[in-house]
Amino acid sequence: MPPIGAPELGTLLVLASLFFAAAGAILGLVGGAQHHLAAWAWARRAAFGFAGTMIAANLLMVWALVTKDFSVHYVAEVGSRATPLTFSIVSLWASLNGSILFWGGVLAVYTLAFVSAHGHRHREYMPYTLGILLANAVFFTLLVGGIANPFERVTPIPLDGPGPNPLLQNHWLMVVHPPMLYLGYVGMVVPFAMICAALLAGRLDAGWMLPLRRWMLIPWSFLTVGIVLGGWWSYGVLGWGGAWAWDPVENASFHPWLTGTAFIHSAMVFQRRGTLRVWTLVLGMATFLLTLVGTFMTRSGVFNSVHSFTQSDIGPVFLVYIAITLTFSVVLLALREHTLAYDEGDRAARTSLMGALFGRDMHPLGREFSILLQNAVFTVFTFTVLLGTLYPLVAEAIDGRQVSVGEPYFDRWALPLGLLMVFLMGVGPALPWGRIAPRAAAAKLGPPVVTGAVTAALFAAAGFTGLWSLVALFLCGFALHANAAEFITPWRARVRSRGEAVLPAAGAVFRRTRRRFGGHVAHVGIILAVVALALSKGYKRETDLTLRPGETAAVHDVAVTFDRASMAEEPHRTRVNAVFHVTRDGRPLATLSPGMNYYPSQREPIFTPDVHSTLAIDTYLSVVELGTDGEYVVVRVISMPGIAWLWIAPFVIVLGTLIALWPEPRGQRAAAPAGAGAVAK
Amino acid sequence: MRARRGRVNGVVLALGLVIVVPLVALLGSGFGNNPRAVPSVLVGKPAPGFTLRDLDGAPVSLEALRGRPVVLNFWSTWCQPCRLEHPLLQDAARAWPDVAFLGVVYNDEAEKCRRYLDKAGSAYPALIDPDGRVAIDYGVAGVPETFIVAPDGTIAHKHVGPLNGAQLRAYLTPLREPG
Repeated sequence: MPPIGAPELGTLLVLASLFFAAAGAILGLVGGAQHHLAAWAWARRAAFGFAGTMIAANLLMVWALVTKDFSVHYVAEVGSRATPLTFSIVSLWASLNGSILFWGGVLAVYTLAFVSAHGHRHREYMPYTLGILLANAVFFTLLVGGIANPFERVTPIPLDGPGPNPLLQNHWLMVVHPPMLYLGYVGMVVPFAMICAALLAGRLDAGWMLPLRRWMLIPWSFLTVGIVLGGWWSYGVLGWGGAWAWDPVENASFHPWLTGTAFIHSAMVFQRRGTLRVWTLVLGMATFLLTLVGTFMTRSGVFNSVHSFTQSDIGPVFLVYIAITLTFSVVLLALREHTLAYDEGDRAARTSLMGALFGRDMHPLGREFSILLQNAVFTVFTFTVLLGTLYPLVAEAIDGRQVSVGEPYFDRWALPLGLLMVFLMGVGPALPWGRIAPRAAAAKLGPPVVTGAVTAALFAAAGFTGLWSLVALFLCGFALHANAAEFITPWRARVRSRGEAVLPAAGAVFRRTRRRFGGHVAHVGIILAVVALALSKGYKRETDLTLRPGETAAVHDVAVTFDRASMAEEPHRTRVNAVFHVTRDGRPLATLSPGMNYYPSQREPIFTPDVHSTLAIDTYLSVVELGTDGEYVVVRVISMPGIAWLWIAPFVIVLGTLIALWPEPRGQRAAAPAGAGAVAK
Repeated sequence: MRARRGRVNGVVLALGLVIVVPLVALLGSGFGNNPRAVPSVLVGKPAPGFTLRDLDGAPVSLEALRGRPVVLNFWSTWCQPCRLEHPLLQDAARAWPDVAFLGVVYNDEAEKCRRYLDKAGSAYPALIDPDGRVAIDYGVAGVPETFIVAPDGTIAHKHVGPLNGAQLRAYLTPLREPG
């Protein structure tokens, strides 16, 4: 009899989850089409079954990794006895087969959360949603159970393995960045399934749009955090002193972020006015489809990038899946789009972007219009980045040329589009729904303009020059004022005219406008990020120094002394460090030891910069070259003002999202505004 | 509205497919490239011949070693992984006298190599490659890189990065005379 252990148990769990997913997908879709309540109930049970078995399979793999069970194929591939516990756990997503299992696990968690949250409500939409959700699960469980089975048994059992990818072991952020991105990517399948359900059901009302927008906000927040943490990792590990290089895979995570952000805003217009239905749905579907394209770029090795460390044979299967999903989306949209219109006469105006743009109820001095412009900017941005990312593939496919589209292309587009976004982020909140008289608009926008001018003037006076950075800072000041005013104005009004106490008045305004308030907080987070980018990109200084031990050189606003070189053997790597003492104005600032880490499985060292970071300025040291016996060192010293705010920004954005997402207290839920069709003030 | 049920919106369909079809085709076209692989066209071909001098000035020629498997290791003193694999190569050279081991110094100074080998041990010749000619012939992109030359003078394997014992044994076992 063959042995029974983790490999067999794991395979069994995966096959069980495949069964549940397939059964649930069929039951859900049939239950939706036939309005069959029993089928829906069974689809729900199947969803729980899928989630349970898939999560169990993930836990089993973690257990195998931690206990170094090398009879499991994946453990033999990425595990090693020398790997510390934390890295053993995170090896789950260190390599391709494990990350697909993890992908399934995240999908299971989302499925569980979704079914638990909505249980028995939304009976027109829920069966379809479960059907689509589980149909996607079928694909991933097929991969896990078939070509990418990480549980395969290895015989004879190896004594040790090579250990996970060195990049993964080199920095704590690698423990957090990938799962955040996974939570962002995979979670987009929920809004996608909800949108498909609306199309299949042939209806979309505000009662469905509200949870739909929430289920977009959740993965969107994870995506935001994941993207920024990736930049932070790149800053902390790759040693070139930057956070974003327009790498194809970075772009791949940026596309769905852009369309997701556009969706979140256009959904507001839908909730308020009932317009932009189809356009909003297109954005939501595109967001999920772009995550698939992004995953493909990351995982298939089509692009050469930091991330394509995974050569795979799942590529063709994944491509088929993408092709099916894309075609399904297009055909579904084309077939069912007309069912979402209210009435024939109003069809164009209510459903399409152009219709809304030129429709009779859209006024240039209204919030709807600014959101529409925002949508246009985000869409153009998405296409620009997508084209730049794919162009090398196009060129190679056409005439075999190897070309690369570099930072200049992306920066040239990102600058004006980004500034336009910041501008609209100030204009939108300042303008009311509907329309406003030009004079009133000027009165609302005047003070923020003054704040922006003062901000730019202050920075200019502090010695910051450079037109574009100052324009960015001007717009940030403008947008910050506009967003803050949305909270402060009604607050002051309450205190002044009604004579309420200061704090209770603030609380009342917060409660009344909570969802919008969350949005404004998120805007502040974006503004912080833009300020950080404007300062760090605009005023970065970079110098290479050659120093012998004991030598000191003054550079930028600091003095750097090379103390010594040191070498340390760790179980899984060799570290070579150069130790520097950094002083500013004669006072010791920090002892920094940038260096290089050598992993047995890699030829090139991984450079590890060291940073002294304050809210005002970062001092960043990276070793370029180190003499054999530490007799000299070439060190790159980079000074970057304000970059620390870039790492704070996503947390502010998530805080805003949480404020907006937090469920209403039970008693008030019924009283929440119905949304669509509500008359603008 | 009822009458319109089942109607296909041709514009949406056409527009969608115009975006989707080329996208999928494009993603498909990029397949099968391994962006990281640096394939060596040399494997299976005759090893480029050379005569180089070792650190003591004695000439060493690859052709003279025909009939024995040769481990040709490109290395330098500034390369940390080379230092990691150095003890293994020394031990292997002592353990398998039937295999010829040659080190070719890559972009480094003879004096530094001499000092390093005095400390770290030297069981086989370290060859000076003036102007890196031999490295260019072998298409060396960085160090360490190791070529395994079969007794008939063809390149059997190219290994990028530091070797471990198992790999070296796997490369050499089929090439060595039994017994």
